[in-house]
Amino acid sequence: MERAFQRTQVLTNHLLQSSSPLPSQTLSSNACLSYSPPELSENCAFDVKEMRKLIDGHNLEERDWLFGLMKQSELFNPKVRGGKVFVSPDYNQSMEQQREMTLKRIKYLQERGVFKGWLTEKGEEIEMRKFAGFEVFSIYDHSLFTKLGVHFPMWGGAIQFCGTKHHHDKWLRDTENYSIKGCFAMTELGHGSNIRSLETVTTYDSNTGEFVINTPCESAQKFWIGGAAKHATHTVVFSQLHINGINQGVHAFIVQIRDVDGNICPNIRIADCGHKVGLNGVDNGRIWFDNVRVPRENLLNSVADVSPDGKYLSSIKNPDQRFAAFMAPMTVGRVNIAIGAVYQSKVALAITIRYALTRRAFSLKPNEPEVLLLDYPSHQRRLFPLVAKTYAMSFAANYLKVLYAKRTPQSNKAIHIVSSSFKATFTWNNMQILQECREACGGQGLRTENRVGHLKGEYDVQSTFEGDNFLLMQLVSKALFAEYMAAQKRNKVFKGLGLEHMNKPCPVIPSQLTSTTLRCSQFQMDALCLRERDLLNRFVANVLKCNAKGENTEQAFNSCYELAKDLGRAFSERAIFQTFVEAESTLPAGSLKDVLGTLRSLYASISIEDVSFLRYGYLSVDNGANVRREITKLCNELRPHALALISSFGIPDAFLSPIAFNWIDTNSWSLV
Amino acid sequence: MSSSVSSQHDQVLVEENSFARILTLNRPKQLNALSFQMISRLLELFLAYEEDPNVKLVILKGKGRAFCAGGDVVAVVHDIWAGGWRAGANFFMKEFSLNYLMATYSKPQVSILNGIVMGGGNGVSMHGRFRVATENSVFAMPETALGLFPDVGASYFLSRLPGFFGEYVGLTGARLDGAEMLACGLATHFVPSAKLPMVEAALCDADSSDPVIISSIIDQYCEKPSLKEQTVYNRLDVIDRCFSQRTVEEILSALEREVVDQRDGWIFATIQTLKKASPTSLKISLRSIRVGRVQGVGACLAREYRMVCHVMRGEFSKDFFEGCRAILLDKDKNPKWEPSKLEHIADTTIDRYFSKVKDEDWEDLKPPTRSKFNLPPYVIAKL
Repeated sequence: MERAFQRTQVLTNHLLQSSSPLPSQTLSSNACLSYSPPELSENCAFDVKEMRKLIDGHNLEERDWLFGLMKQSELFNPKVRGGKVFVSPDYNQSMEQQREMTLKRIKYLQERGVFKGWLTEKGEEIEMRKFAGFEVFSIYDHSLFTKLGVHFPMWGGAIQFCGTKHHHDKWLRDTENYSIKGCFAMTELGHGSNIRSLETVTTYDSNTGEFVINTPCESAQKFWIGGAAKHATHTVVFSQLHINGINQGVHAFIVQIRDVDGNICPNIRIADCGHKVGLNGVDNGRIWFDNVRVPRENLLNSVADVSPDGKYLSSIKNPDQRFAAFMAPMTVGRVNIAIGAVYQSKVALAITIRYALTRRAFSLKPNEPEVLLLDYPSHQRRLFPLVAKTYAMSFAANYLKVLYAKRTPQSNKAIHIVSSSFKATFTWNNMQILQECREACGGQGLRTENRVGHLKGEYDVQSTFEGDNFLLMQLVSKALFAEYMAAQKRNKVFKGLGLEHMNKPCPVIPSQLTSTTLRCSQFQMDALCLRERDLLNRFVANVLKCNAKGENTEQAFNSCYELAKDLGRAFSERAIFQTFVEAESTLPAGSLKDVLGTLRSLYASISIEDVSFLRYGYLSVDNGANVRREITKLCNELRPHALALISSFGIPDAFLSPIAFNWIDTNSWSLV
Repeated sequence: MSSSVSSQHDQVLVEENSFARILTLNRPKQLNALSFQMISRLLELFLAYEEDPNVKLVILKGKGRAFCAGGDVVAVVHDIWAGGWRAGANFFMKEFSLNYLMATYSKPQVSILNGIVMGGGNGVSMHGRFRVATENSVFAMPETALGLFPDVGASYFLSRLPGFFGEYVGLTGARLDGAEMLACGLATHFVPSAKLPMVEAALCDADSSDPVIISSIIDQYCEKPSLKEQTVYNRLDVIDRCFSQRTVEEILSALEREVVDQRDGWIFATIQTLKKASPTSLKISLRSIRVGRVQGVGACLAREYRMVCHVMRGEFSKDFFEGCRAILLDKDKNPKWEPSKLEHIADTTIDRYFSKVKDEDWEDLKPPTRSKFNLPPYVIAKL
């Protein structure tokens, strides 16, 4: 009955309306929407080229060359849409096809000399060139980035860091030439984060001078091994090393898993991990080792070795330190993931903001033109804080890359902590940015060709691989705890990790925050330091309290997980902010510095708006409202710079997507 | 219907039809090389036609056996000798503004390339919507042999040729015929020269700015030319392998590796051409094409303007003046480049060609504003 009533009502309305002359008149008076390119209406108050130089930071020429290499090749699937060429993988291909395309793309790049020196040259210059390469490849496709990441920094890095000269001589050149394809067999079905408890076992046979690698149970199968399912010829296996019945802990061994024709080697079993929510251009596989024998030389022996007669020798007696040495390739992996995440955020924001500069919705008054999405304060509030965050991450990423490229034995600890913190923070930020951008593009964000929505699936894995984000943040808090205890025990000042502020008197937040104060970088730094300092004090106090109640330190860390998480975030945001301030300070007065100042204030304000400032009472409720008001103002001030800010990301048009450009022409019937 | 509104002595002849304007470059003795006067006149005419609702279409052609052999470089060099580098900068400012206007023109331009089309000649044709080649067409961007670099927006249109053909054409100055121009996309149509009068007449009757209609009119006179047996277009695989390399040095060694693989006159000649060109020119040209590949046409022209000002100032190299001397003035064809070798040129020197000119009064290129016109999608896509 109710349905019948509804239908009658719809029909009645329809009839009544069509009898009225008004609707048809309104229809005819509305001109067809036309696309107006933002380049012609938006101004650039600062030099976009200079800004790109600042945030890309290095190897601009190399980047443009790599972009061009991809754009000019059919292998990268160029599609002409609305008179422009776009390159992006065809994600509608089957998993098998996508994997073959990733492989072909790598071979193409290799033939053009892209990877020349990636493993055979040393020094800051080549490290920075590699970083630039990874950033560019991440802009094209996460599978390409990841497959290269497995082959070069993971497999190649394991040989570099864990191996010695004869490994370098034997493997690095062939790896660089891609005549062997490496993978990295660490994770098992039963152990992902807890690497020290891997179940794969290796023993030594002194009669033959060989190691015998075995998968003793199903949970010990190697899992998620990128490259293993189809293409890899070699792997580095992480395994417990048992010598004369004594477990010497996790060590790394080189094993050939396929012959030159691609046949799986004897005593190796390989299965596919199957279709995934993203990253289907990478052939993740599972590996079982059935007492596989490899020569003694295949132990990567930079920190430990086994003599021909079967004696275990190690320069590092402490098993914890030995283990840490084997984890070295993970660090560069984290750096790469962190920097890749920044560029994904740039892609999504560039597309979303360009769309918001050309798409209109609703008129505010009758007979007025509809309003551009980006002219709505609410849209600005959604997107500009993310732009500010992305700028902040860019500076932090540049800091991290240089820290890594110039590494010394003394800086290893800092690299470990900073890379863990940034990897977790950037990848979480990236997922938040991708989701917000997807929604801000409306339905268009759901089309794969428009990239923003699709990227979520492709990049989701970043919060898990090379260290689960949650665990990485705990690792940061534990490291800060250790710094605190060490300083206290030896009655010394804090040094390094940016913790020097702990040595100074505690900053005080003014009772009434004005706009001027909120934009002052000293205040912003004070506020972020105050939070870090207080949370570290609280965290230490709580852990010690748990200790006093009889919990051991590991149990105590577990009990204090909430504080640990807040502290990890406080450390990251303060550390990121510091890099922003430093980058800004290198600039002469002028329009570039001005706009960066606004972005810096916005980044600081959204960090200070975080609930932790209210939860722990650093900010009064009134001041919380002041911060919020300031954010709205800052967003409004950034509006005129929108196009210039995202153009400075330096991402060529071909690597964005059709909705970022003439989306009306792209979708016209004549192009169907 | 047609009426001529210019005298025989004008450097640009103007013919007015009901909907079309036919502009003829009229310096046949100089192969229609673009003088400052011609450029100014073209700019003035194009600006006026855009405002004139009666004009639907602009046709550009050349008198005699050339469409246009380039900018009048000899005159530019004389101007610089007489009045300093700014005289040269003025010329290029005007020329590049015209190139930009053509690239972003709201009405279709049909260029009839029945003869030589080189350097600046490409600047006044390649950016337009339609380029008609014939059996007489000879295309080249020969600037690296002259100590200059492919300018007039070439870093935009060369970088968009298939694969790395743009690097090949831009670095070697290779000549292409009409069939090759059509194959790589430099030409949009190929019409035998005998049919050109008919094409013109048909276009003049068309009361439309719709590119689909214009294109179909030209299509009626088109022929499918066959590529000559020895065409370079069959060598795209080698060109892609070699000219995609990171640096000029690596391009040369890639070519040399190919020679070892197969005895091949073409590769040998290509290497010789590159070795004869100005090393500085080669390096800045390669960088320009590579950067141009990821820029819009406006940014390309603005960057090329910076570059050309640096070349005119001769701060880092005077190869342009030496090239003009050896090729155009003394004609000894034996320029002495300085620096003389690729490996003597540091990346930081190349960087400086792309920087702002450090001179108080100097300004970046300010091309004509386009915001008031309703630009067609094919133009919007180039911005």
